[in-house]
Amino acid sequence: MFNSKPQSNLFSTVIWLVLVALTIMTFSLGEAGLSGKGVMLTLLAITMIKSQLVANYFMSLRNTKFLWRAIMFGYFLIVGGLIALAYLQAPT
Amino acid sequence: MDSSDINGYPVKPLNMHQLNHKGDLPGDFALWIFIFAEMLAFGVLFVAYAFTRAKNVELFNVSQLTLSRTSGAINTLVLITSSYFVVRGVAAIKKGLNKQCAHWLTGAFLLGGIFVCIKMVEFNAKYTEDITMSTNNFYMFYLSLTFFHFMHVLMGMIILASIIIKANRGGYSAQDYIGVETGASFWHMVDFLWIILFPLVYIIR
Repeated sequence: MFNSKPQSNLFSTVIWLVLVALTIMTFSLGEAGLSGKGVMLTLLAITMIKSQLVANYFMSLRNTKFLWRAIMFGYFLIVGGLIALAYLQAPT
Repeated sequence: MDSSDINGYPVKPLNMHQLNHKGDLPGDFALWIFIFAEMLAFGVLFVAYAFTRAKNVELFNVSQLTLSRTSGAINTLVLITSSYFVVRGVAAIKKGLNKQCAHWLTGAFLLGGIFVCIKMVEFNAKYTEDITMSTNNFYMFYLSLTFFHFMHVLMGMIILASIIIKANRGGYSAQDYIGVETGASFWHMVDFLWIILFPLVYIIR
């Protein structure tokens, strides 16, 4: 239930570059002054990808039992899901 | 099965603090209990922010515009990069390279310092505008969330500094690096939480 293959430095560098690109994307959406439910969901989706990349490849949870990865993903699903719910029900 | 292996687990790590079994969380499990507790505390605050905003959308949108998105984005890049340096530091110590590990972690520590400086400039800007936690609900959340996180960054820097000192003295090895992994896990948690905090407080509207 876990991957024990060591992570190469090149792979870690690629993950870092993806995180940088996703951060620039988030910032650009903010700078463009975009708002609304679609944008909010897009930003949360980007945040979910970033958080899971950090959890799995920086915190090395990809090398651990499924339980630990499930906790980190479940955390984002619950917190991110409740945030989305609050924004969706807010008056625009 | 050979003499050094029972149920797939090594029998003779030098002591129980030196190697984790495959599939276990990296570093000391006690710290992970702390990490999960901190994530829960931040999670409650994130959700409380979102539901409080739902009742004060205009106030939150107007107040949010007073924040520096550029500072927030730079700080995100700073933390992500410092986390990457920590990953490289852990990779180095797994090969027994104490000096290289110390160098990567020093880079991460210095980036932590940049984060702290940028955040202090932001806090000072709000202070000079007479904005406090009691100004309105948005600033109450903004200041408490970011200050709570700021304290975690400082704690993470103290942990990194202690690991750097030990690594510089050759205190870890390819068989004994659990201390490095434990500190690394804490630092990644600081990054993980900021990755959620930044878009929530600075961007999403």
